[in-house]
Amino acid sequence: MLEGLGNVVVKEVRELARDPKILIGMIVVPLLMFPLMGFAFRTSMQIAVESVKTMSIGVIDQDEGMYAQALFDIFSASNLTVIKLPTTDVEQAAKDIQESNMTAVVVIPEGFSQNITNDLQAKVHVYGVFRGMGLAEASGPEAVVSLVNAFSRFLALDKVEQNQAILDPVSVSQESIVKGKVVSVSHSALSSLVLSQYIGLPVAIIVMLILAMQIAATSVASEKEEKTLETILTMPVGRFTILLGKLAGSVVVAAVGALAGVVGFNYYMGSYTAAFATQPSIDLASVGLAPTLTAYLVLGASLFVALLFALALAIAISSIAEDVRSAQAIVGYFSFILYVPMIFIMYTDISMLPLTLRLVLLAVPFTHPMLAARAAVLGEYTMAVLGIVYVSVFTVVVLYVAARIFTTEKILTMRLRLRRGKPRREE
Amino acid sequence: MVWAVEAKDLSKLYGEIRALDGLSFRVEEGEIYGLIGPNGAGKTTALRIVSTLILPTSGTVSVLGRDVVTEASEVRKLISYLPEEAGAYKNLSGREYLKFMAKFSGTNKTDLKEMVADAAEISGLSERLKDRTKTYSKGMKRRLLVARALMTKPKLAVLDEPTSGLDVLHSYHVRGIIKQHAEKHGVTILLSSHNMLEVEHLCNRVALINKGRIVAEGTPAELKGKYKAANLEEVFAEVAGLA
Repeated sequence: MLEGLGNVVVKEVRELARDPKILIGMIVVPLLMFPLMGFAFRTSMQIAVESVKTMSIGVIDQDEGMYAQALFDIFSASNLTVIKLPTTDVEQAAKDIQESNMTAVVVIPEGFSQNITNDLQAKVHVYGVFRGMGLAEASGPEAVVSLVNAFSRFLALDKVEQNQAILDPVSVSQESIVKGKVVSVSHSALSSLVLSQYIGLPVAIIVMLILAMQIAATSVASEKEEKTLETILTMPVGRFTILLGKLAGSVVVAAVGALAGVVGFNYYMGSYTAAFATQPSIDLASVGLAPTLTAYLVLGASLFVALLFALALAIAISSIAEDVRSAQAIVGYFSFILYVPMIFIMYTDISMLPLTLRLVLLAVPFTHPMLAARAAVLGEYTMAVLGIVYVSVFTVVVLYVAARIFTTEKILTMRLRLRRGKPRREE
Repeated sequence: MVWAVEAKDLSKLYGEIRALDGLSFRVEEGEIYGLIGPNGAGKTTALRIVSTLILPTSGTVSVLGRDVVTEASEVRKLISYLPEEAGAYKNLSGREYLKFMAKFSGTNKTDLKEMVADAAEISGLSERLKDRTKTYSKGMKRRLLVARALMTKPKLAVLDEPTSGLDVLHSYHVRGIIKQHAEKHGVTILLSSHNMLEVEHLCNRVALINKGRIVAEGTPAELKGKYKAANLEEVFAEVAGLA
C-alpha cells in the first residue's frame, strides 16, 4: 500500500538537509547562537565579578570617632579597595573622583560614634557613582550597603549582649509540601529552581514546531512552484504515500533541528544559572520533582503528536498556496497561535485563569505539549494523556484534509495567495 | 483497434471558464502527435487530463484502453508526463534525481541502472550529472527532464511544450532526442506546442486547437495542402479566422 515511501522519505531528507537555508537556520544557528549568547552572558558576568573584586570606594570621615574607624576597618577587610578621601565636602569629593574608578563614596557624618554610644540611631550616606549601565557599577554601592548592614547588626547584637531573640522575636522557617509530602526545602527556592529548569522547555517546543512548519510548507510549496509535484503525481506511486513521505522527511529534519536547538538552549541556560549561581543546591529527585521515565514518555508522545499536527497543518496550507512565499507567510501567521499559549504557560498557572480564557487556550492544540511539559514534572499524567488524545484527533482531521487535497486536482488548481483577489485557477 | 490515446467529447470547466469544449482526438500507437495552438487554447488542460492529474467535467479519455479516471493508477504505469517549464529538485544531483524517479518504475537494481544509464545517454549531460541541478542552465535542465520522461520507455510520453523557453541549439537537441527515442523504442508521444514550425518537423500528425476545441487535424502535409498554406502557422491563421 505504501510502496515507494522509503524512496520519497530519503529524497525529502536529502533535499531538505542540503538546503542551505534549512541547514543554517535550523542546525547551525541554534548550535552557534545559543552558546554564543551564553558565552557573551558568562563573559560579561565574569567581568562584572572581577571588577567587583578590584572595585574601590572612597570614604569621607567627618566623625573621626571609634565607630567610624571600626566601619572603615570592616570595609578594608573586604575585597574592596578603600581610600580615605582628603576632603570632608561631598560636593568637592564628587568632582575629585571623576577620573577615578571609584564606584561609591561613603560619608560618615559627624556624631556617628557619639550617637552609637548614646544608643541613638547613627546615619551613613552611601553615594553610588553613576557612569554607565554596567553590572559592576550597580554592585559597588550594594556591596557597601551590605557591609554597613552587617556592621549595624554586629553592633546591635553587641548591645543586646548577643541575645538574638531580642533582635528577631519571630523567625520564619520556609518549607514545602510536594505531592502530599512535607519537604524541608524553601518553597520560593524550589519554585525558582523548577522555573529556571523548565522555563526553557516551552520556548524550545515553540522553536521546533515553527521550524518544522516552515520546513514542510517550503517543501510542498516549492514542489508546486517547480512543478516537481505535478511530475511525481503522475508516477505509479500512491498520493497518500507522497504525503506521508513529505511528513516523515520533515519530521526527521525537524527532529535534528530540535535537538540542535535543545542542545544549544541547554548550554545557554547552563551559562545563565552558572553565572548567577543563586539557587541553593536542591536535589529535585529527592523531593520527587525529577521527571521519571513515564514523564519522559508522556512528554515525548505529546511532542510527537503536536509535531505531526503542525506538519499536517503546514502541508495542508501550503498545498493550496500560490507559491513558496505565500505558503511561508500563511504558516507564519499561524505561528501566532503558538506564541499565545507559550506566554500564558510560561508566566501563569493555566488553572488560575478565567474559565473562558482557559477553554480558549485548551482548544488550541499547541497548548497541550507545553502543558504536558509542566504536568510531566509534577507527575499529573491524566491531563497530559487527554491532551495527547485531543491533539491526535485534530491531527487525523487535518491529515484527512491534507490527503483530500493531495488526492484531488485541488492541489494543482487551487492557488491561495496573500494578495487581493480570488484564488487563481489555471486557464 | 486499441488507440494509444482516445479522447471523446472532452470538456473542462473552471468555474465559468470553459477550458475545453468538446475536444476529441485519437493517437495511434508509435506516432508522434502534436496538439498545437496559442496560449490558453486548452493544450495543457487536455494533457493534464490524459496524465490523470485533473478530471474532465464531461467526456472520456482512455490510454491504451484504460480509462484515465476510473483506472488512473493503471494509466500511471503506462505513461510518463513532462510538465511545461518544470524544474528538478535543486539540491539533488542530476543522477540522484534520475535515480529517485526511476525507483518508482524500476523493480530491480539492474533495471534501475539501465534506466539511469539510458537517461545519461539521452540527456548527453555525462559528467554534469554529478552536479546539483540548481547549477544547470535552462537547456540542461530540460534535457535532464526529457531524459527522465523517456528513460522508463513508457508506452505513452506526454510532453507539454518540450522546447518552450529554450534557445535554438537546445531546442534542436531536445527535438532530436524525442524523434530518435520514439523511432527506436516505438514510444507513442503526445506533445503540445505553440511553436507550429517546430511541430511541423517533429509530428506525424497534428491537431490545431483553439478555444478548447479542435479546429483542424491531419498530417502537416495534408493540412498545408488542404488550406493551400506554406506552413502550419498559415493553416492556423486560416482556420482560426485570423487570415
